[in-house]
Formats: sequence, structure tokens, C-alpha cells
Amino acid sequence: MQPRGYWSDAIRRLRKRKLAMLCFWIVAMYAGLAAFIWIGDILVTHLDWKIPIVQWNEHVGPSYQKPAAQYEFVPEMKTESQKGWCLLGTDFMGQSTFRKTLYGAKTAMMVAFCASIISILIGVPLGALAGYYRGWVDDAIVWFYTTLGTIPYILLLMAFAVVLRGAHIGPWELRGSVSVYLAIGLTSWVGLCRLIRGEIIKRKESEYVLAARAMGCSDFRILFFHLLPNVFHIILINFSLRFVSFIHAEVILSFLGLGETDKPSWGAMIDAARTELARDVWWEMAAATVAIFIISLALNIFSDALRDCLDPKLRMD
Amino acid sequence: MRVSWLYHHDKKNTCGHPVWIALMVILAGAAGVLSVSGCKDNTDKAQDNNGIVLQQRLRAFVQTLDPMNVRDTTGTCVASDVFDTLYDYHYLKRPYEIVPQLAAAMPTISEDGTCYTIPIRKDVYFHDDACFPGGKGRLLKAEDVVYAFKRIADIKTRSVSWWILDRRIVGLDAFREYTKTCKKGEVDYDRSVEGLQALDDTTLQIKLNEPWPQLVFWLTYIATAPVAREAVEYYGEEIGFHPVGTGAFRVDRWLAGAYVEASRHPRYYDRYPTEGGPGDKEAGLLEDAGKPLPFVDKVIWRIVVEDQPRWRLFLKGYLDMAGVPKDNFGQVFTSGVNLSEEFTSRQIRMMEFDEPGTFWVAFNMQDPVLKDNKPLRQAISFCIDRKKYIKIFFDGRANEAFGFIPPVMPGYDPNIIAISNSRYDMAAANRFVEEAKTIAGGKIPRLRVAIGGTDSTQRQMCQYMQRCIESIGLDVEIELYDWPTFLEKMRKGDLQLLITGWSADYPDVESFLQLFYSKNIPYPNEFHYSNPTYDAIFEKIAVMPDCPERTALYQEAQRIINEDLPCAFTLHRASFIMCHDWISNVKPNSYKNEMSGWGMTKYYRIDPAKREAYKKKYR
Repeated sequence: MQPRGYWSDAIRRLRKRKLAMLCFWIVAMYAGLAAFIWIGDILVTHLDWKIPIVQWNEHVGPSYQKPAAQYEFVPEMKTESQKGWCLLGTDFMGQSTFRKTLYGAKTAMMVAFCASIISILIGVPLGALAGYYRGWVDDAIVWFYTTLGTIPYILLLMAFAVVLRGAHIGPWELRGSVSVYLAIGLTSWVGLCRLIRGEIIKRKESEYVLAARAMGCSDFRILFFHLLPNVFHIILINFSLRFVSFIHAEVILSFLGLGETDKPSWGAMIDAARTELARDVWWEMAAATVAIFIISLALNIFSDALRDCLDPKLRMD
Repeated sequence: MRVSWLYHHDKKNTCGHPVWIALMVILAGAAGVLSVSGCKDNTDKAQDNNGIVLQQRLRAFVQTLDPMNVRDTTGTCVASDVFDTLYDYHYLKRPYEIVPQLAAAMPTISEDGTCYTIPIRKDVYFHDDACFPGGKGRLLKAEDVVYAFKRIADIKTRSVSWWILDRRIVGLDAFREYTKTCKKGEVDYDRSVEGLQALDDTTLQIKLNEPWPQLVFWLTYIATAPVAREAVEYYGEEIGFHPVGTGAFRVDRWLAGAYVEASRHPRYYDRYPTEGGPGDKEAGLLEDAGKPLPFVDKVIWRIVVEDQPRWRLFLKGYLDMAGVPKDNFGQVFTSGVNLSEEFTSRQIRMMEFDEPGTFWVAFNMQDPVLKDNKPLRQAISFCIDRKKYIKIFFDGRANEAFGFIPPVMPGYDPNIIAISNSRYDMAAANRFVEEAKTIAGGKIPRLRVAIGGTDSTQRQMCQYMQRCIESIGLDVEIELYDWPTFLEKMRKGDLQLLITGWSADYPDVESFLQLFYSKNIPYPNEFHYSNPTYDAIFEKIAVMPDCPERTALYQEAQRIINEDLPCAFTLHRASFIMCHDWISNVKPNSYKNEMSGWGMTKYYRIDPAKREAYKKKYR
């Protein structure tokens, strides 16, 4: 029998879990949708294509039409009225809630992805350096992240979002989404950093590191070519677990009016719905919360399964 | 006064920072819960013990009640009932008329317009307070007004109102210079200021550096209210929390973030006006003519930050009057301006009044993309569908603006409509955008639309503008800033297109004209607009008493602005007050609004029996 590698074994065991695979496909669907809208958005803005699903800011009907209700209205740039309906109704501005919800998926996925990358780029090297060198490097890094960690997360996130919005970094001015990516990324690397540091401390005395050292490898090589690949699964698990919280962070920021400004976002939809609920406009709130609920649930189940499959202790069937 | 888009947004509120807003949302939630659960007991108890209570509401915390430092609408709201000013608007007469309040008569003005002699009433007492000997408030003297003005000038008090008096009164600027050399608390208020003299206890004389016809309007402004020197010296730094004034109400209890309670000033001097405008008699507004004020024994201002809880409290009868939140327009009105059945059956009445304000999309005239490209500004102005904008955001209850003079103000010029550059015309917009591209040499860079506020309504307003401008093939992005950041960026000239507005502080178009005066760059001239012809007209108008030539001049000024197009006018807003059946004598004032009427509480009459019946019925 062909011995199986670590990764292929993990994938094989993951495939056996029906629910986890279903969740994987749901997540993939969100990601695919985000990618489709991302590309579509470029085509619409730069090449003047007409892709209705992506054109969220088109006024498709009167304000506050119920889901699937028939209405009559005069479209933009036209004079005679026509009939229409919207699957999830319309919002205050007469825009389609359905399109906004889909577009919200792109916003959330983009923010979560970019913020994850930023937090990995900060957390992993810092954790690795602290764990490998110990001594004053460790003290400094641990002191730094503990200090950062003592500040309540939401307050820290808000403070970063406020400071970064419209800030100048060298010749660039941070605008719109970039400041949101940075705010979330810069505030949420502590957990990952701590994990990586612990893992490196555990492994740096193991045989393969000793062997590498005996062969005269540099610290840099040992750290980044021997140790880090061996903790990669932790980064991956952490990535999938944190992804949900990043989506939530984006929703919170948008809800507070500190997030995405130009584009629809689930948080902004919930913020708008806060006052709308009093006049029985429930669909905007419902659409956004259901969208968040499904992706959160799917990601949680999937990353749980992923952790089980990647855990070496549970590896042998 | 710079106005923000939301009805409840505080105009000069420094607490607009998002972090604070978020904290306030949390606190307000708690406060809201407390006030909802606590209000029943409060009011009922108060009712039994202390007579008739008027229930008002505030939209934000009261930061201070020191008149010279009050700068937000909530502070003004309470302070105006606690402090009286020398002059005030006639409660009933329209068009607006300035009438004496603490003053005994209108000022006698010297021929050259620089010397004002103001007689002061002899029957005005300060509130009873521990700062006075024996705890009894003393008579008001002309010296108290002088003292209040000197306090504003004193740099050590860090007054926010100095800009009103800056370079206006003879010798006051020298006094300000003198205070710079003093140590804190050692400023000599007995030092004489030439232009500010109490000739005797009841005669005040103000000498101006040059004619300033608007002075009398500013003497209705809360910052110029007389203050008792005893109180300031007794309370020191705490004076902002211990208001001692001459107004109809005296603050008894003030719990930051929850409520302010005030009771009737027993020795209050004023009486209900005996004459009114046409229709006032029929409306029952003259039934109390000549009776001593105030009519209620107690006022409670509840602080309810969020729109919906405030609206619920109103419907349940725990507030006597309220504004209409944006999301409830549909619920309140049927077609036109008729109240829906739900409200007529509850005997709730609605009062509509025009605000003396104008909103616009301002162009930064120093921006390299906009400044030399008039067709671009025209294109942007022509592509904004104002009717739809008003329909979506104001439920159709606002007027399109063609120039900056609102229809409610004297001197409104209907001829501007025909030549206005501020109207919706897609064909023209498309034509101008082509011209603009030629001037810009091809592509027009991405434009930026900014608004001061991060609320969902403000975001939606920006998105609406974005959509309009994108419809003529331009690229636009949105910038949402909290109010202080917005003002700061505006001053620096960092912003490109700004969604803002202005509300006149007094019934004189001069309040708008100063916005375009080049010496007022960067504030309040947010446009960074400068035109020598315009400046010359403005300088003439500023010192001219009201007359037909003056009206002609400011209409000319409006035409210049229309021609140069430093902003695309969008609308004049209308405001609404909803009143319960049991409150009478309510007449809105365009210049003292923010729904509840600054300083007008003393005129309101309450029928508590009706209120109790309503509360029982709709519990």
C-alpha cells in the first residue's frame, strides 16, 4: 500500500465527513460569488458592461417594497412607468435588497481575506522570532502583544478604524476599504502570534531542527524552511477559524459607520434596518442576518472538521 | 449656523467622534431603558406634588449651561428657558419681529449707527440661589450685561462665543488683549471698556467700531444673556453646572445623560403677548393674552438619543411634543400633508414650518479639478435629480432650491428660478460634461463626495449623489467623516464635493452672504470662493440698514453666486412638530426651532387631565 502524505490523508478524511463537505461547498459558493462580483464590478465600472446582479446601486423600484411584491414605477432615465418586482424587496432608496445582499458577500469576503493575510503577515513572523530566539526578543514581543491584548477588542478596532480612515502613509492616502482591511488586520494578530510562539518553542528542540543545525543551517533557514512549514496547519486552521470573526468585525465596523462607505455591506444594511424595523421593514435586516448566519455556521463547522483532520494525534484511522 | 443633514445631529457638537458616538449609543441604550422604565413614576409623582409638568425631550447630553459656552442645540434648548436675553422674537407675529425682553424698549441708535443705548427693565429678578445674600435673587442691572460681554472677551474663560464680538465693540478687543497678560482668576472685571458702559442701573450703552445692523439680532442670542457676577464668583469653574439666570425656569436637578428638571421662576416678569398675526386668534393662540408666564410649574427634559424610543415615548404620551423621524414619515402622513388616521384619531396635531436654511453640494473652488472648470460644476449641478432626492429623503416635504435665499426669508427672489444653474436637466448635464472633458484635457479624475456624519442616512445621501454624478459618466467615491473631522478637513480644503447646508441665525440674508465672502475663507466660506466684485457688494451690505436698495444688492449677490457656481443648491428643508391635544399655545419659530422651540417653553399650556386620559387609553 502506498503510504499517504500528511495533506492527502487529511483531505481524504475530510471528504468522509458529509456535513463538513457541504459546509465547504457553501463557503466555496460565497467565495465564488465574491470573485464573480469582484470581476463583474471591474467590468461594469471600467468597460460599461451591463451586469444587473452587480449593479447594486440601480434604483429598481419605489422605496420599501415588500419581497416579491408587484409594483409600478418609472425607471431611471425613462418617462413611462413599468411593472417590476424584487425577490427580497427594495430598501429606502429603491435599490434591490437581493443585489445588495449578494454584494455584501463580496465586501465581507474581501475584508476577511485581506485582513487575514495582514494578520498572518504580522503574527506569524513575530511569533516565530519570539519563540525561536527567546531572551529579550521574546520579552519585547510578548510585552507588546500582551499590552495590545489587554485593550478591549472592539474599542481597539474602532480606534484603529478612526485613525486609519483618511490617514496619510507616505504618499498614499488610505481610503475606503483599505483602511478597514488594515484596521482589522492590525488588531487581530495577537492570538495567532501567541499560538505560533508556543508551537515554535515546543518544536525548536526536536530532532530535525537539531539535525539542520548540525548541518550548519542559518537561523533564518531553520526558522522559515524547517520550522514554519511544520506549523503551517496551525496557520491554516487559525485562518479558517478567524475568518468568521473577521466577517463579524467588518459587520460591526460598518454598523458603527466606520466601515465600507461606497459599497453595500451587511453591517451597513443592519444599521439602516435598525430604524426601519419600527415601520415593519424587516427584509433588509433578515437578508443580511441570514447571509451572515449561513456563512458563519458553514465556516465554523468546516474549520472544526479541518482542525480534526489536520491534528496529527487523530491521524491514524 | 452650519447644519448637518440629520435632524438630530448636533450642530457644533464636539462629541461627534465615532468612538464617542459608539460609547454614547451604549450609554444611551442604558439611559433609554432607564428613562423608559423610570419615567412613569417620575412624572406621576411630580404631577401630584408639584403641579403641572411639561415633558420635553433632548437628543443629546447637555454639556454645559453657561450661556457663553453653549454651542449645541440641546444646550441652547435648556439654556434659552433658563436665561433670558435683552431682545427676542415676537412669539406670534410673522414676519419675524424683534421685541424687547429684558430690555425695556428697542435701542436708541445714534445717527452714524455706531452707538446703541438700551434701557433695561426694572422688574427682572435673578433666580433664587445660594450665591446671593440670603439666597434671594437680586434685581437685574445693566452692569450684568456688561459683565457677560466681558466674560466672553476674557481669554481665560475660553469662551466659544468670542467670534460674535470679535472686532465689533470699541475697547473690547483691547480688554481681550489685557486678559492675555493676566493670570487666571486675576482678571479685573471692573476695568472700564469704552464701548460697553452701564450709564446707570437700567441704561446700557454699546459703542461699535463700525455700523453693525445685525447687533440687535445677536442680542437675542443665548451667548449674550446677562449673567450674575455673584454666581460666577461663587461657583467658579463649576458655573456651567449651576446656571443662575433670569429666565422663566430655574434648574432644580440635572442628572447628566438622563434628564434636566426645572421649576417655575416665582418672580418672573414676562406676560403672554396680547397681539398676534392673522389667524392666531382663530387658532386659539391668544386665549392667554396678557396673563403672567409661565403656565407650567415644572419642565422635564428627558435625554433620549435614539429616534425610535423618542417616538414611542411620544406616542405613549410621555412626551408632549416631538419631531418626526425619517422612517416614520410614511406612518404619520397619508398623501399630501394630511395626517394619517392613526394620528387624527389620537387628536395629535402636526405643525409644519419652513426652516430658513438651504442645502447644497459645495464645490471646493481651490481644488485643481473643479476651480477652472465651470462646465464640470454645471454638469454636476444639472445631473442631481432634486425632486427624487426630496421624495426619497424628505418624503416630498421640502422645496427645491434655486439660490441660497430660502422662500421663508425676506428678499426671496423668484426670478432666480429662470436663470438658475441649480436644477435638474440631464440633456444639459451631458452637454456640459463633454465640454468639461475638453477643458480637463480628456479624462476627469475620480471625484470625491464628502459628508459630515457616518450614519446610515448620510451614507445613503452620499450614495444618491454618487449615483447621480455617475449617471453622466463620471467616477465618484464617497467619504464619510464624523462631524469634527469633517469641519477640520473642510477648513484645510482637503475635501472636493461637500454635502452641507446653512441655516440663517437671524432673519437677515447677511447670514448667508457672509459664507461667500473671501475674508471668511476657510470658515465659514467652505467653498474657498473669492470674487472681488462679490466682496465689494458684501462689504456694502454688511453695514447697510435694511432698505430696498439693500434687498436689490443681495439679490445681485445671489446672481453672482449663481453665475460663478461655487455650489449646486439642492433644497430648503421643512420641519415638523407633532403636538398632543393637551398642549396649547404652540407656535413654531423658524429661527428658534430644533422642534421644541428654544426659550418658548414658558408660553406652553398643559391640560394634565387630558394627558392622563390619553395615557390610560393608549397604555
